[in-house]
Formats: sequence, structure tokens, C-alpha cells
Amino acid sequence: MNKQSEFRKLTYLTDRNIKLYFKDKMTFLVSLITPLILLVLFIVFLQSAYEDSIFSIINGFELDQKLIDAFTGGWLFSSVLATSCITVSFCSGMMVIDKINKANIDFMVSPVKKSTLQLSYVLSNLFSTLIVVFVLLAIGLIYLACVGFYITFVDFLLIVFNIIITSLFGTVLANIIWTFTSSQGVVSGVCTLVSALYGFICGAYMPINTMGEGMQHFVSLLPGTYATVLFRQGFLNGVLNEMNKTLPNEMVEGIASGFDVKMSFFGHDVSTLGLILVITISTIVLLGIFLLINCLKKKKKQK
Amino acid sequence: MTHIIEIKNLKKYFSNTKAVDDISFSVEEGELFAFLGLNGAGKSTTINIIVGVLALNSGECFVNGFSIDERQKILPDIGIVFQSSVLDKNLSVYDNLRYRAMLYGMSKKEFEENLKFFSEKLEMKEIIKKQLSKLSGGQKRKVDIVRALLHKPKILILDEPTTGLDPKTRRLVWDMINEFRKTTNLTVLLTTHYMEEVSIADNVVIMDGGKIVAEGSPLTLKNKYAKDYIKAYKYDEKILAILDKANIPHNKDKKCLEIKFNDTEKAKDFLVEYSALFNDIEIVKGSMDDVFLSVTGKELKETV
Repeated sequence: MNKQSEFRKLTYLTDRNIKLYFKDKMTFLVSLITPLILLVLFIVFLQSAYEDSIFSIINGFELDQKLIDAFTGGWLFSSVLATSCITVSFCSGMMVIDKINKANIDFMVSPVKKSTLQLSYVLSNLFSTLIVVFVLLAIGLIYLACVGFYITFVDFLLIVFNIIITSLFGTVLANIIWTFTSSQGVVSGVCTLVSALYGFICGAYMPINTMGEGMQHFVSLLPGTYATVLFRQGFLNGVLNEMNKTLPNEMVEGIASGFDVKMSFFGHDVSTLGLILVITISTIVLLGIFLLINCLKKKKKQK
Repeated sequence: MTHIIEIKNLKKYFSNTKAVDDISFSVEEGELFAFLGLNGAGKSTTINIIVGVLALNSGECFVNGFSIDERQKILPDIGIVFQSSVLDKNLSVYDNLRYRAMLYGMSKKEFEENLKFFSEKLEMKEIIKKQLSKLSGGQKRKVDIVRALLHKPKILILDEPTTGLDPKTRRLVWDMINEFRKTTNLTVLLTTHYMEEVSIADNVVIMDGGKIVAEGSPLTLKNKYAKDYIKAYKYDEKILAILDKANIPHNKDKKCLEIKFNDTEKAKDFLVEYSALFNDIEIVKGSMDDVFLSVTGKELKETV
């Protein structure tokens, strides 16, 4: 069995998994509608609260309403993307579904390497997540184009990179968990838990500096927080630069810090490159853990 | 004859349960080999070890000359039909077969040719584009069998392939398998609860509690373990006294007198000696049910 034929098997298995996921139209719609509902709820209930926060920071200075709308819109949408990359990746995996339907046994008796099969689950999970998240991004960009669009090409590339790396992070993390279960109940439970909890512990649902000090330290230890801040930078750098033309630098810095466009790790500022490195290295470490678990499982079976 | 499957002293334990307890057997190329046993006898565990789904605790297992440790060399020669379908219900028959075929390194052209062959042979053309979940039980089973045979394996493993199917579909399934056995040198390894399926096998292994309790051809097993019967419909009542005196087991009901013998020779000798006392008789060979009951002390219900 040469590498080329194993690669061909990988592409077919990945294609099969993606096709199966999107075959169920309701699953796709629910994956898409859930973050959109979240965005609508954000806009309806939180936008005015965040506008008030900005007004309290600028304290009497004049600021174009379009800039405020673009800032709050970008902030809220970056929150939706930061959570969706993880929640969609947890809910779009095929590994456990195959275990429940016993399709995994069919693959076990086919001449395909276990590692190829496992990799196909990760890849299809990643591609399914990316499809959903990029559709969301398109909707978000249309929304921002309506309220105020200040995203530069470089910021757009940063957003795209962050979507890919955060989705990969979520996908690998989900597949590590799915390796140990074959129960739909566990999958539903974990998905519900992640959907409910992740937005809070990655600083997506509320600015980190509004949390208690202990919680601030805790969330700064989680890689997801760095991905959220990267999204904030991608969506808000342009608006902040525009604000800089009418507001004093200290005020813009205050808004940036208050709304997590900048991040500090135990008092030390983390640069954009630092944010990228944290999320990238975390993803590589998770990939290593995933490979290690699969190697250990293979050895255990051989015994 | 070549041994296409060879099992030596195979053991498999699940914590303290001996699922397979030191069994050895071999399967000849081209034969229909049947495993017979109740649920939990160790049949499916043995098959799962052969195809690499389960690891063995000790013993040796060779398929087509390769040790089962070399799964990638063994699996291209094996096709397996599971008790219930493991294909993707939300995909079409075509997609299901295409995705599986590609795992055997088949080119698209080769796949299309093989699919055409099987769909013509099994009259499947009208269901090829249909979603699997929309098919009847019999149609799904057809697809399962095509999935197992599409890559033209040397060994076809059937794990209770007709359980839950109606008699008409069971017949259809066996007609298909027999057709392929005729045209290819396909080896079939079968686990079943159905005696009629076992009786057409070349060799049978009866398993109980993880052990092989009997093996041989159906005829050998019947001769060894099952008693022959003389069924007498018209007879002289004097024969009853003779049977009692000779201590020959018998059973009389309204329809007939059933006399049991350990083998055909004894039945023949008895008939020759007392032919004048019988007017209407038949000699019935012991069934595989009798064999199973004799070697395990348990009854094999076909509804299991």
C-alpha cells in the first residue's frame, strides 16, 4: 500500500464524512442559525450597553455614530466567530456517529490504516466547520458593510488565518474527546457544555476586564482567549485607527484595553505575533496529544 | 487442498469470561464453512479476530498465508457481511459502494465495471441512485452483499446474514451466494442459527462456551451424533413388545410409531429382520438439530 493510494483513501473518506454531515440539511441549518441567533441577541440586548461603555470612556468627546456602530458590530461579530469556530467544530464531527452506526467496524475490516481513518475525521470535521464559519463570516461582513466597514486587507487575512487555526484547535480538541466515547449522550452533553461555557471562558461574551481578577488570570491561561483577542484585532483595528483621527490616543487605548483588543498576560502586554504563536503552538500541542493517544490505543490493541 | 484460513489454539478472554477457549480449525479454499452455536458461543468473536476487529490473547491465526498481524495484506482478500447493515443510511447506494470500493484501491473505471456486473446480476439498477434508508430489508441486504463482493475477495464472511429476513429474501440471498460460489473459487465462512443453511455447508464447527464441541461435514456429524428414525405408519402391534424387550427407544402417537437407532446400519438390520411386521415405513436421517442437541445438550431455536 503506497503513500499515494493511502492519500487517495484519505480524500475519499474525508469527502464521505463531509457529504454525510451536509446531507442532513437540518444539521447544517442549526449549525448556522445558532450563531446567527446569538448575534441577533447580542445586537438586541448588548449593543446599547457597549455603546454606553464607549461613551463613558470618551467622556464628552464627539464620535461619529457610524464608528460606534462599526465598533460594537465588529466586537459582537468577533465574539460570535470566536465561539462558533469551537462550538461548530464540536458539533460537526463524524467519529462518534460512525461508532454509533457501526460504520467504523466496516472501515476496520477494510484495507485502510487506522491513522488514515482518524485523520479523515479531523480533516472532514475541520472542513465542515470552515464551511459553516466562512458562511457566517460572509453574513457578518455584509452586516458590517451596512453599519460601518473599516476592515483592511491585512486584518481580513488575520481573520481568515484565525478562523482556520481556531477551527483546527477546536476540531483536534473535539476529536481527542470523541476518541474516548461512542455515546451520543456524551456528545450531546459535551456540545451543550461547550456551547454554554466556552463563550464565557474565552472572553467572547463579556470583556475580560469586567471579570474578577482570579477569573481574568484563569482565562489568560486558556488558548481560546488568545484566539478571541485576535478576532477582536482583526475586526476592530481599522475602526480604532479611524477613531484615532478624532479622539486622543489615550482614549483609543482605553477603548482597546476595555474591549479586549489588547491583551495582557499577568501584567505583560501580548503582541499580535504573541497571540498567533500561543494559539498556533497550542494547536500543535493538541495535535501531538491526539497522535500520541492514537498510537497508545493502537499499541494497547496489539497487546 | 490449501488452507485459506488456519486457526491454532486461539484464545480470547474478556476479563474473566473465556469468549474463545483454545480452538483450532482450518478452512479449505473454496469451501462453505459454517459456525454453529448459540449467542455468546464465540462465533462472532472468532470472526472479529480473523478480520482484526478484536485482538487475540494467544494462539495463531493465518489468512491466505499471512498472519493476522499483517492486516493490510489480509483485508483486501476479505469481504464481510454483518448481521445488520453498517453502510451509511443517508447516502445513496452508489455513493456507499463508491466510497467503500475506493478503500480497496479500485480505479473509477474498475469500480464502474464491477458495479455494472453486480447490478445486472442482482437486478439492482433501479435502486442504485436511491438513498439506502429508503430501501426494503431485502434490498439493503443485496447492497451489503455487493459491498462485500465488489472488490472480488477470496473469502466472504457472512455473520448471520439472513437473521431477521423473510424466507423469500433468505432464499434470494443464498441464490446469490451460491451463484458466486459456482463461478468463482470463493471461500465462504458463515455463522448462523439456521439449520437449513448449515446443512448445505461443506464443513461445520459447533461452538459452545467458547470451545469447539464438534466438527465435520453435516453428514459426518449426523452419522456420529444424530440418531436415525424408522417411522412406521402401518405396522403389526407385536413390534411394540419386540422393541420393549430389545430396549430400543421408541415413541408411539396417533400418526405413527417412531423408532430410534444409533446408526443407519442398525435400522436396516432391524427392518430386514422384522420386515413382515411393517407395511408402510420411512427411514429418516437425524437432523442437525439433533446433532446440536446431542453435542451441546441445548436446543438451537431458529428464532434466536
